[in-house]
Amino acid sequence: MSFLIAATEPVVRLTPQARILAAILAIAFMALILDLIRRDKLLERYSIVWFVLGIGMLAGAIFPGLLELLAKALGVRDVTIALFSVTLLVLLALSLNFSVIASRQSKQITRLAQQSAIDGVEEEAAAVRPGEPAQGEKKAPPEQVPR
Amino acid sequence: MERTLFHGSTAGKQLLRFPHPDQRFGPRRRHPCQNRCVKKLVFIPAWNEEKSIEAVIADAREHVPGADIMVVDDGSTDRTPELARRSGALVASLPFNQGVGAAHQTAYIFALRHDYEICGQLDGDGQHPASEVARLIAAVENGADLAVGSRFAEDANPGVPEYRSTFARRLGQRLFSLLVSTSTRQTFTDTTSGMRALNVRAMELFAERYSSEFAEVESLQQAVRAGLVVEEVPVHMLAREHGNSFITPLTSAFYIFKTLIVLLIGQLRPKQVGQ
Repeated sequence: MSFLIAATEPVVRLTPQARILAAILAIAFMALILDLIRRDKLLERYSIVWFVLGIGMLAGAIFPGLLELLAKALGVRDVTIALFSVTLLVLLALSLNFSVIASRQSKQITRLAQQSAIDGVEEEAAAVRPGEPAQGEKKAPPEQVPR
Repeated sequence: MERTLFHGSTAGKQLLRFPHPDQRFGPRRRHPCQNRCVKKLVFIPAWNEEKSIEAVIADAREHVPGADIMVVDDGSTDRTPELARRSGALVASLPFNQGVGAAHQTAYIFALRHDYEICGQLDGDGQHPASEVARLIAAVENGADLAVGSRFAEDANPGVPEYRSTFARRLGQRLFSLLVSTSTRQTFTDTTSGMRALNVRAMELFAERYSSEFAEVESLQQAVRAGLVVEEVPVHMLAREHGNSFITPLTSAFYIFKTLIVLLIGQLRPKQVGQ
């Protein structure tokens, strides 16, 4: 089992400078998010996840123990590697999430465009031949051809 | 009472809900075009086809008598919608270009809403003679759910010159038909044909979900999987009158690759249930 024990103890840690820098960046990031919400540039719905990310950054900078725990759990000796891999995964998940949102919205936009096109035809047809509503009896709904 | 446009069980989750026509206009008002004909709609998806659209409309009117004719203008920036209107066709204008699939789907939704029972479709560039579309409509009247015009099927009108195509395009066509035929276990020779006729069952299926980029190819797979009767009818098509196809070897290779992926995914999709 010795090959599994290679990375039990994290040996490469963040330096104090790096931690201070990370904390400042995290705070600035959260301030930016707040500002974007305040100016209506970002929906609250999407801001929460970014805010949580900012808090995570801040926590990592203030309590280095958290990052070391993380590195230990992942089995890497270098805390920065653990940080990078987790960050990458989170960003990957986020961008996938946004692709899903974009697909949904594009579908909705198509539906809207179709709705507007159909409304246009209906209005036009009503304008061309006005005053012909409900003449004759209502047609039965088309019967579906049985197979 | 609100209904989604579609009756499928999975329908309406992500779709906008369309109010029932009865609800939208208060007391039910018949669409004016229903006074002329209650049955058939021939629609022409068109994107910047001002040179050919009038001839296509005239051709459709001549060969499919009694049908209403609608042009689905897919965000044209030229005079297509004006000319179509002047020719007396209904015009559904999408506010921006959405791709051929969305245009087809617009017509299906419209047709379902206004109780059309059969829908025929032909391209706006003049490649599809309306007389052939009439044959497709006849095929649907005779029991097919979806009839697709094929340029390459065996007994296409003998005596009419063969449809001409470059070697690369023929190769691509063969590949598509191989892929679709394999995935549907039914022989298709012309998978990218936009000359079709369909009944309410097929329209409902496509109104619910319809690929926007790979409309023609994927819809065949979709229809067969849903248990629809899909029939390929040999037809004869004309060479393009105006405009060019933007197909180069590289883009078609990429297109084939994308289609392969789409068809593979299509095989994995849950089956839609044809009603």
